[in-house]
Amino acid sequence: MASSRTYDAIIIGGGHNGLVTAAYLARAGKKVVVLEKRPRVGGAAVTEEIFPGFKFTMFSYVVSLLRPEIIRDLDLPRHGLHVLPLESTVTPMENGDYLAAWGDHDETRRELYRHSPRDAEAYDEYGRLMHFMAQAVKPILGMVPPDPTSFDPRDLFALLRLGKHFRGLGAERLHALIKLMTMSSADFLDEWFETDVLKATKSASGIIGTFLGPRSPGTAYVLLHHYMGELDGVFRAWGFAKGGTGAVSESIASAARAFGAEIRCDAPVMRVIVKGGRATGVALENGDEISAKVVVTGLDPRRSFLQLLEEKDLPGDFVADIKRFKFRGSSGKVNLALDSLPSFTCMPGIGRQHRGAFSISPSLEYVERAYDDAKYGEFSRRPYMDIVFPSMIDPGMAPAGKHVMSIFVQYAPYNLNGGWTDAKREAFGDAVVNTVEGFAPGFKSRILHRQVITPLDIERITGLSEGNIFAGELALHQLFFMRPAAGWAKFRTPVRAYYQCGAGTHPGGGIMGASGRLAALAILGDGA
Amino acid sequence: MTAAPWDAIVLGADSNGLVTAHYLARAGRRVLVVDPRQEPDARVDVGWVPPQIIRELKIDARTSGVEQSDPWIAAPLAGGGRLELWRDVAKSADAIRKVSPADAGKWAEFCTRMRRLAGVLEALYVEAAPDIETREIGELLHLGRVGLHVRRLGKQTMIDLIRILPMSIAELLDDWFENDTLKGILGAAGVWHLRQGPRAAGTAFNFLHHHAGSPAGVFRPPWSKLTQTLATMPGVEIRRGTAATIVARGGRATGVRVGNEEISATLVVSSADPRTTFEHLKPQLDAEFVRAVGNIKMRACVVRGAWRGNGSRVPLCVAPSLDYLEHAYDDAKYGRPSAQPYVEAMGTEIHVQYAATVDAGLAARVATALGVSSDQVTLEPANGHLYHGDLTLDQILFMRPVPGWSRYRTPIHGLYLCGPGTHPGGGIAGAAGRNAARVILKET
Amino acid sequence: MTLRQTPFHPRTAALSEGQAWRRWAGYVVASAYELSHEREYHAIRSSAALFDVSPLYKYMITGRDAPRLLDRVVTRDVGKAKVGQVLYTPWCDPQGKVIDDGTISVLAQGRYRMTAADPNLRWLHLNAAGLDVAIEEVSEQTAALSLQGPSARAVLQNAAQQDLASLKYFHLTDAKIRGIPVTISRTGYTGDLGYEFWLDAAHALSLWDALIETGTPYGITPAGMLALDVARIEAGLLLIEVDYFSSKHALIEAQKSSPFELGLGWTVALGKESFNGKPALVQEKERGPAWQFTGIAVDWDSLERLYAAVGLPPRLPTQAWRTSVPVYSGGRQVGYATSGGWSPLLKQYIALAHLEGAFGTPGTAVEMEITVEHHRKRAAARVTKLPFFNPDRKRA
Repeated sequence: MASSRTYDAIIIGGGHNGLVTAAYLARAGKKVVVLEKRPRVGGAAVTEEIFPGFKFTMFSYVVSLLRPEIIRDLDLPRHGLHVLPLESTVTPMENGDYLAAWGDHDETRRELYRHSPRDAEAYDEYGRLMHFMAQAVKPILGMVPPDPTSFDPRDLFALLRLGKHFRGLGAERLHALIKLMTMSSADFLDEWFETDVLKATKSASGIIGTFLGPRSPGTAYVLLHHYMGELDGVFRAWGFAKGGTGAVSESIASAARAFGAEIRCDAPVMRVIVKGGRATGVALENGDEISAKVVVTGLDPRRSFLQLLEEKDLPGDFVADIKRFKFRGSSGKVNLALDSLPSFTCMPGIGRQHRGAFSISPSLEYVERAYDDAKYGEFSRRPYMDIVFPSMIDPGMAPAGKHVMSIFVQYAPYNLNGGWTDAKREAFGDAVVNTVEGFAPGFKSRILHRQVITPLDIERITGLSEGNIFAGELALHQLFFMRPAAGWAKFRTPVRAYYQCGAGTHPGGGIMGASGRLAALAILGDGA
Repeated sequence: MTAAPWDAIVLGADSNGLVTAHYLARAGRRVLVVDPRQEPDARVDVGWVPPQIIRELKIDARTSGVEQSDPWIAAPLAGGGRLELWRDVAKSADAIRKVSPADAGKWAEFCTRMRRLAGVLEALYVEAAPDIETREIGELLHLGRVGLHVRRLGKQTMIDLIRILPMSIAELLDDWFENDTLKGILGAAGVWHLRQGPRAAGTAFNFLHHHAGSPAGVFRPPWSKLTQTLATMPGVEIRRGTAATIVARGGRATGVRVGNEEISATLVVSSADPRTTFEHLKPQLDAEFVRAVGNIKMRACVVRGAWRGNGSRVPLCVAPSLDYLEHAYDDAKYGRPSAQPYVEAMGTEIHVQYAATVDAGLAARVATALGVSSDQVTLEPANGHLYHGDLTLDQILFMRPVPGWSRYRTPIHGLYLCGPGTHPGGGIAGAAGRNAARVILKET
Repeated sequence: MTLRQTPFHPRTAALSEGQAWRRWAGYVVASAYELSHEREYHAIRSSAALFDVSPLYKYMITGRDAPRLLDRVVTRDVGKAKVGQVLYTPWCDPQGKVIDDGTISVLAQGRYRMTAADPNLRWLHLNAAGLDVAIEEVSEQTAALSLQGPSARAVLQNAAQQDLASLKYFHLTDAKIRGIPVTISRTGYTGDLGYEFWLDAAHALSLWDALIETGTPYGITPAGMLALDVARIEAGLLLIEVDYFSSKHALIEAQKSSPFELGLGWTVALGKESFNGKPALVQEKERGPAWQFTGIAVDWDSLERLYAAVGLPPRLPTQAWRTSVPVYSGGRQVGYATSGGWSPLLKQYIALAHLEGAFGTPGTAVEMEITVEHHRKRAAARVTKLPFFNPDRKRA
């Protein structure tokens, strides 16, 4: 049954990028509808009450990289966004000791000094370098990637400007940036520090969401990606959104609605309707058809092009590029409802450490071995984990006196040997829980409920291909003007009036919203 | 004190040292070459010799050349027999067809595309590394020319360059081929002299680096007798069997010390690795420069040796798959020699990866890989990193040997580097030496 | 308590009447003991004030190449210094911009103690590559006290077992106080007669008690950082992170300063063969520094007029300020003051300032910004040579 309404834009997928695009377009006066297949928006940024009273920030769990201009432009605080600080990270060590990074600089220095006086000093210099690196890269986050293979003067001009920007950094910083882009996080950190557990903890942020280990070249770059967050103007400060990352999505949705956008849930899109090389609307799975002047996909590139379209509508080499685009999901999640908080051997008792994160990354070898397991198709027997207790920061996430625990896990390869069966899922959950138990005896007895999410589950629930949390690997050759394919990194696609706004475009995943905004600006700029 | 003063002293009678020495001699300088080894290295040089060197030094190509092996590689197949790859692209395709028709169908295009990319590298290797910070017109024009050269190769090549250079060789090969043995042969070139596995980013570059100088479809560097030829060419004096240390005062090179003798020269060129070169000069060097030199990744992972051979000159590659290489690398990652090493035999010489030291059982494991008994394999003691610095993406071009010092000069006035630790790195015979000589002649 | 406590904390904590503490290098130290810092300040200039300066970073540098390392790092000529001498010196990065400043005590042949405001262990190690030298950080193990004021010598003579009357300015000696081994240097941060005590932290409290007991008849007064701040401004002594920024913390070039720009040209031994930053400093000396660090004295009448205009008497900052205050000349901003306040001794409103080139000449008329009842005004002032206060007793 055909629908008679025509929209200015249809946004496929109610993930945060799609919602951002919808909000910006609606703000510019366009008639916009967002079509989300699930009962709620958010994609992988959702909060769900899986067990009564216990709210799980199901997939993503922290906020840092959400673009400040988006927060300002859409007035998200007024729509419910409230980010609470996550001030510390504690890394339990296998010998019962720990390494802590606190919010206060003097405290952190003193803690590092305990492990290595020289590292305590190097830490400041390293932090300063990362500050400059983040500043150097920041403009790139907000720009549309120029195409170096085109002869279009606009691209050439943009390339020249880019070149000038980099040369303006000065030799020392330019070299540091090149090293950051090409080295492994372990190698990069080896040049600065000697404390293994420090390097392991920092490296771990370099491998999140990747199919790489701390000794794999290209992971130092992801280190920076996670260092570019801004909260209240402070670099690198991670925070926890009140209500979980679902609240982030809801606030953007609320802003979009306030500007007049329409959001429909339980409305899965089956395909994009293409006539004469031009997108004219979409067909839902229930048969409804909706027309629009412009169709925008917030799904990942594989779904956007190989599922929603027919290959005949796309040029051959583009299809080949998209087929080659790598998505190997490697992350899992274990969400727990707890009767009480666990006490960690390295820092007994319940204290301020529970208001921050626990990083299970006691040594570089530990994290590297976790990666080795995944390389050959198994989940890590002793995985790397990033643990937070959302209820300690936002008590509303759990019933009074009880707690929720969010465990992000690497590695759990999508292509598991033999596939992800229910039994394998439970075994993975057991590996996670048993590893934590090793650092916090008695932990298992506090678990009331457990939810284990594998990359296959991520794919089934959110649609992210192969469960890759970044909607496409953030490898060097899949970034910037190569994302998702050479020549198609500007949010447009080979199909006219069909745009892409998800994290499969520049600048990639991490709940930045940057792709959504840049796509909206491209659409408006094209005079849609 | 020596009777006849020298204009230049070159440390190291390897291919780069000798190339530099002869270029300086050709320009009229009196050059002394000093080398610690008593005997010249009789081994064949592995690596592309830029034709400019042959021409400009008037080397007889027949004496410096070596007959290249055809097939250029053979690898045992799991079910028995061998996969041989030939210098003729079509002939290789035929061989590949027996193990994978699909791969055979893609072979020719793969060879063409890789050859074009290697050509870009060759153009970069016969010049000093591009200076990206320069404001000089001459340099900017050179950069522009390089850019134009690349653009003229067409959009596909440009995209290939941008896309493939940072990739892992495993990903590149998985995109094209399905057969494990074929991918093992090619993947091995991606990890040559690199303590990384084929899944590491940057190994596709290393693969192309080792394709330089070879025709399409030949993915091993060519052989030559460059070092031996230069060793006997007149024009420079070579003093063997003595170790030399560099002498510098107040930030200026004044010569070298050989035993008790101090030989003076205002120009000293070292083909030794940067760390060794600067070892005794640290107090005269800037703290951050010393730190940067200390940070150069020189992760030796190759042990060389000999075996009785199988009567064939055709190199034998024992790397049955990419996973095999990756497992071999995993051991090295944790500081152990590979339990199942990647072994490549060329005549009676063998290349063993990954091992930084020769442990008790290594010879036996190498023998197993080659299918012979262990008494037929002898390994040399580990001897540092042949390339004087890993060819990783952060240690090439203007980042090599140390960012900001890629033009063979050093902070010590009159001291230059010319070894594989500089651009373009190891595996390209004499190119660094020639680039260094040209820079030296321009500056002195 | 997650900040560190100095070895003297049991004594200083007991004296704190107003719980006025502040951080210094990760330690907690007293801003003032009494409810106001005034009496503590006056003790500096009229009797003897006692400061806990333990949070300074301290390094022992020993070995055959110790003087070589130090000469490489700092601008002063350490090789020429004699045993028993103390050198005040800044040190620079390779571009000639100041990283930090501190003192070098020549304790014995090949044995030095270096103090610094910021951590420098890594920097020392980096510069020691290839040298035969040992670097040990002794910050925590070494307690330090500073005794400053006209009665300081008397207190010292009374306390020490030796006769120290002949201890010269910026020299040191080993001594015993009630059996406690200490190194005493005639140094300080007040520009007055004074001594600093360096000792093993284990004996800290004993020394404190000894000094208090023997010093009480002379009016010895424990004093905090607020009092010290006023005195150091009178003495024209700069403070890192306030009057200048370490080049290691600077985010932009403009935040860096060379020794010449900080009035420390006298510490730069260009005759030394080489040291970090020398080439840049040679060039700067030739063309002249772009900035000068100098004193500013505000004209009282001008100040009074500004306040009178709103019906108030002048409000004098008896606590020194450490913010950045614009300085003008002819309607244009020509610099900025970084430390300032009212000097009760000199009865003047004084400040330390950075002024462009020629404006730093003593006697130049300038204007300093003063906020009067929420409005920004400008008070007339005059560029004054530093130090503002330089008593004979300091060196006598």
